[in-house]
Amino acid sequence: MASVRAASRLLSKRILSKTTAVPAAAVQGSRDFHFSIYGKKTSAKVSDDISTQYPVVDHEFDAVVVGAGGAGLRAAFGLSEAGFNTACITKLFPTRSHTVAAQGGINAALGNMEEDDWRWHFYDTVKGSDWLGDQDAIHYMTEQAPAAVVELENFGMPFSRTEEGKIYQRAFGGQSLKYGKGGQAHRCCCVADRTGHSLLHTLYGRSLRYDTSYFVEYFALDLLMENGECKGVIALCMEDGSIHRFRAKNTVIATGGYGRTYFSCTSAHTSTGDGNAMVTRAGLPCQDLEFVQFHPTGIYGAGCLITEGCRGEGGILINSEGERFMERYAPNAKDLASRDVVSRSMTIEIREGRGVGPEKDHVYLQLTHLPPQQLATRLPGISETAMIFAGVDVTKDPIPVLPTVHYNMGGIPTNYKGQVITYTEGSDKVVPGLYACGESACASVHGANRLGANSLLDLVVFGRACALTIAEENKPGEKLSPLAPSAGEESVANLDKLRYANGSLRTSEIRLNMQKTMQAHAAVFRTGSVLKEGCEKMDAVYQTLADIKTFDRGIVWNTDLVESLELQNLMLNGVQTINSAEQRKESRGAHAREDFKDRLDEYDYSKPLTGQVKKTFEQHWRKHTMSTVDVKTGKVSLKYRPVIDASLDEQECAHVPPAIRSY
Amino acid sequence: MLSHLRLCAPARTPVCVLTGCSRAASGSVKDKQPLKKAKTPQGRLDSPEEESRAALQKFPDDVNPVTKEKGGPRGPEPTRYGDWERKGRCYDF
Repeated sequence: MASVRAASRLLSKRILSKTTAVPAAAVQGSRDFHFSIYGKKTSAKVSDDISTQYPVVDHEFDAVVVGAGGAGLRAAFGLSEAGFNTACITKLFPTRSHTVAAQGGINAALGNMEEDDWRWHFYDTVKGSDWLGDQDAIHYMTEQAPAAVVELENFGMPFSRTEEGKIYQRAFGGQSLKYGKGGQAHRCCCVADRTGHSLLHTLYGRSLRYDTSYFVEYFALDLLMENGECKGVIALCMEDGSIHRFRAKNTVIATGGYGRTYFSCTSAHTSTGDGNAMVTRAGLPCQDLEFVQFHPTGIYGAGCLITEGCRGEGGILINSEGERFMERYAPNAKDLASRDVVSRSMTIEIREGRGVGPEKDHVYLQLTHLPPQQLATRLPGISETAMIFAGVDVTKDPIPVLPTVHYNMGGIPTNYKGQVITYTEGSDKVVPGLYACGESACASVHGANRLGANSLLDLVVFGRACALTIAEENKPGEKLSPLAPSAGEESVANLDKLRYANGSLRTSEIRLNMQKTMQAHAAVFRTGSVLKEGCEKMDAVYQTLADIKTFDRGIVWNTDLVESLELQNLMLNGVQTINSAEQRKESRGAHAREDFKDRLDEYDYSKPLTGQVKKTFEQHWRKHTMSTVDVKTGKVSLKYRPVIDASLDEQECAHVPPAIRSY
Repeated sequence: MLSHLRLCAPARTPVCVLTGCSRAASGSVKDKQPLKKAKTPQGRLDSPEEESRAALQKFPDDVNPVTKEKGGPRGPEPTRYGDWERKGRCYDF
């Protein structure tokens, strides 16, 4: 301990002596701070306003973007393009963000394959969201979609082309023509088989044209809030353990989803919902966190999804007794039943004790009865996938699978311009200085269920929207309002507490407990008793956070500390998800409950509206959940906010009145 | 360039590779002879990946003969089962 104190004293001495600008080249031997880059203004000041143990470096910018995935990069260089002095804080190198894994396409009504209209895309998205999406945000996104895709193409993204040289569009993701009456629409643009990868690299390459300051491998700890206004971000530099405060008039959060709350998810280990947690700790609500998109057949342990085509070609799901259990749940469709039916059936089998494996927590997907030649021609590459991710020879053994989380529809509530909002006294109020975009935001365009290929579109449109809104309402170089010198001290205190934590449970153990609880109770199979039990268990796991034990006491590249911080973030997301799910007593989109199988709207839309009495706001469920957490106790409070039904311009695009969703 | 150096120095002597790298990078190479490339032992490093890649070969001129799409995904149409499939994995749905 004494050596650590001596080391930090030494560190503070070194920092204070470096306040005069020294060219980076002259100090090649010693470890220099990240931010002294050639030609940049090194106006960062060091202070020990928070703590002498943790000297803080203060930076001032016009705008700060947290996260450098698709949405974060688009916002960052959009702001730099508009002349703002922008900082982009990211815990990963930009091209390692999870956007790179999105291989599906991006939807836009370009009309290259057949006559198309963005209003039809608008209708499809509203219907897909099960009428929980805010129609003004969906109007904005679908109207901007063609321009956004053309802009990406102008940035150099190599979309696949038709013979005439126009962008090739294919049928995907529940898209139709003429408001659902004109058959399948071809709207999905792609780049070979790596659209997300290409998008991220294109945006990163484009962003290098502008002078955004990148702070790579800086872990954002908290927002600096004062009087309900966001004045910046406090972050930990992982490379040398220094704390940095980024003061800015505008903060954009683009930190991605929180798949890692569940045991089985397709997300990277870094998808820990940091932005949602920062907003929660600031006392602001998160929206619709109970809506989590699942896929029935994700490989156990790896999280990679197996295509439905396997079942389409004759693959079957079997339980521990070797029984083809889908025959009981869907006698006609059997294994080809819809995804939610399959997911629920698998979960019920596991719950009833007929799961396979040492912990009986998954089922098998059997392809061994199919002729290997047929498998190789119809599903090329599947044997490779099964061998790499599951370690099985697909012609001899079954693949272990279980329902897997893929996307989080919920997140930080924003309006269609990307400004973060709260709902008080019956109306939306903008939180000054705070914006959000991407998967971490909930605009809400996906509502209760996301359509395929709409997510990449969401990233670029709302990333750009945040940049445009900030540019509209602010000027570069504006003077910053004063900030209390001790701002951010709770974050540093929390960091210090975690760094020296000496309880009895390791971070990995608590995390596994949380993931198993969420997978067992807040996954596809949701019913009152299961959810209630899950809420109590999650509360217990939340309390065990106080008993956490970390091992690395250093401050330089302390991954134990960063994982523990991420666990705190995941836990906040997890408790809100399960509590919101427990309270929502209906089935809508991705949130399907066994005890409340129907959608509860203000009218019963399956019958004619004449003669029906409109239900009050408290009685129906076509509303957004706004959840907040008391961080000390882990108690979740829920409020509700109405869905925005009006589009941005009724003349240009009429809103879609609610109806029963059937495909 | 790095793979080139890996071929000329066996794995057991990494020091050789490092010095080779800095020698070339610093530009102060005394002998102007090009680094001799060692021959790969026949058969030992023939990658078995070649056969599995055959499943997803590039189309001639990168144009899909059925849909006439240029620069599109290799192999069968990814959306044929309703989700976006490649090598048996589902990426979007």
